[in-house]
Amino acid sequence: MSKHNNSVPLEYSTEENDLKIFGFWVFLGAEIVLFATLFTVYFVLVDRTGSGPIGADLFELKPLLIETFLLLTSSFTIGLGVHAMRLGRVKPMIFFYVITLLLGAGFVATEVDEFLHFIHEGATIQTSAFTSSLFTLLGTHGAHVSFGLLWGTAIIIQVVRHGINARTANKAFIFSLYWHFLDVVWIFLFSFIYLKGMM
Amino acid sequence: MAELFPKEHVLGFIGSIILTFAALSVIWIDDISLIGGLVILWITALAQASLQLVLFMHIGETADKKALYISTIYAVVVGLLTVFGSLLAMIWGY
Repeated sequence: MSKHNNSVPLEYSTEENDLKIFGFWVFLGAEIVLFATLFTVYFVLVDRTGSGPIGADLFELKPLLIETFLLLTSSFTIGLGVHAMRLGRVKPMIFFYVITLLLGAGFVATEVDEFLHFIHEGATIQTSAFTSSLFTLLGTHGAHVSFGLLWGTAIIIQVVRHGINARTANKAFIFSLYWHFLDVVWIFLFSFIYLKGMM
Repeated sequence: MAELFPKEHVLGFIGSIILTFAALSVIWIDDISLIGGLVILWITALAQASLQLVLFMHIGETADKKALYISTIYAVVVGLLTVFGSLLAMIWGY
């Protein structure tokens, strides 16, 4: 074990931990650029709807609001989970992480239902350049959330088994960064795909 | 129990809900102009993203915060150049 630094939270406490968190921020930078390229494709192709539906025909307020509140709330609960972890309270931490993943699962279920609605309205990934770019952008975000459900489950299992220590705290904190980042991406999808499309 | 719900987090969550409703105003205001709507959406989205980064992701918390800000801002600048450069070249007709 490398030397512990007690002036910072446990998840940063070793040099390795500190570097892993820094490395994850660099990865999130790459994710920002990934989503920027997909947004670019969408904005360039948004009016290329061919004979298919346009955004205003497809987007519905109800599933949008459900998805937004599920994801915003899950971002809040994982924040509380990290806070509980810093207090050394393992049970509340696990509780908040489990709630976070349940909210995330609710988000994915709502989004799948929404995609089925799109398809029912005659918008598949092959319908037009607009629907291709729409499904690619929303789907990439949804795939990230789905992957997060698996990753988060693995984190919870490790915390249940080993408790809160420098390693598990570091992993749990990095997962919380990923989860908040997905909420940030959703804010831009919510604003510039859905609301702009419904304006 | 109260120690598990720190005030900043609760206020941040309430703030993010208020910002969501502020953004929704663009579909509730009749005859809003495209520019007016986009200005509202940009303001609410940037405020919401900053709230997440600073409050929940603790970006400014450690000694290496300068490196985190540089790396993140660099990525955002590359992203914005990609989006607006492409729009400039392919959509806006320059």
